[in-house]
Amino acid sequence: MDTIVRIPAALRTLTGGADEVKAAGGTVGELIEDLDKRHPGLKDRLLDEKGVRRFINIYVGEEDVRFTGGLATELKAGDQISIIPAIAGG
Amino acid sequence: MTSCGSARVLVVGVGGLGCPAALALARAGVGTLGLVDDDLVDVSNLHRQILFEADDVGRPKVPAAAARLKQLAPAVQLELHETRLLPGSASSLVQQYDLVVEGSDNFATKFLAADACAIGRKPIVHAAAVRWHGTALAVGPSGGPCYRCLFEDVPLENAPNCAEAGVIGPMVGVVAAAQADLALSVLAGEDVFGELFTFDGKTLASRRRRVPRRRTCLLCGDAASILTIEPRRYVEGICTVA
Repeated sequence: MDTIVRIPAALRTLTGGADEVKAAGGTVGELIEDLDKRHPGLKDRLLDEKGVRRFINIYVGEEDVRFTGGLATELKAGDQISIIPAIAGG
Repeated sequence: MTSCGSARVLVVGVGGLGCPAALALARAGVGTLGLVDDDLVDVSNLHRQILFEADDVGRPKVPAAAARLKQLAPAVQLELHETRLLPGSASSLVQQYDLVVEGSDNFATKFLAADACAIGRKPIVHAAAVRWHGTALAVGPSGGPCYRCLFEDVPLENAPNCAEAGVIGPMVGVVAAAQADLALSVLAGEDVFGELFTFDGKTLASRRRRVPRRRTCLLCGDAASILTIEPRRYVEGICTVA
């Protein structure tokens, strides 16, 4: 099951400039593993040894995975994933 | 609710976001604007920091912005703070205003402003823009969801800032407009708190997402431990572009 993942501008250097990519997995953690196989380096930008990096938010639909089970959050057909990093600039 | 004409708004960061946001607020009739920045106008700022002209290069941003704002919106009262927002003075400065509009270029200042406002029970509207990605978030005076519910702490690595990633001129205009809109809504007494506005300048897609209050949040959670401003919390690299 491929899931659509929206990639923020700051991470598009790792996806060849694509703002949306596909990845497969039954959970958010599995999806990130597959994402990293397809776009090496993404996992390191999203996760540290404790899980989702503290300045990264990953949403499944409108829900922040911090509140839905973290990396164990289960995915279903049609889910869309959004990655929102902290940014400072203006 | 604070009437616009009597409102006192502190603008933290007079850069790509602070310039258009301050202008929008001044022309909307906000009575008093405080401007906080310690930087000088650089030629690289001019494409997006709309209160500055080529003649301003090398001048401190705060008086340069104030002079231009007075031309464009003569009724606004301006209070000039030619300093970076600092841990030793952030709380007392924030207390002088009804609302803080934060568009700074570094994470340390963003978290310091967030903490000072939460501790002092002042509303704040955060905004940021890097490359083609922009965000805005209003946080209310009575606790979460807050900036730390969304981004837990000052990033130490891998998080983009404008010095490393660059800022696209039109992006800051869009995001600052959203920030000013949120600020005016707050002053009008509307509940616009806790929704994250995101804008993707590549696809022109904007979204709003509800930010849940995080029970473990150090600032507004059930066992919040950030009760005072401690300088050690606000250490990171400083952007030199904005």
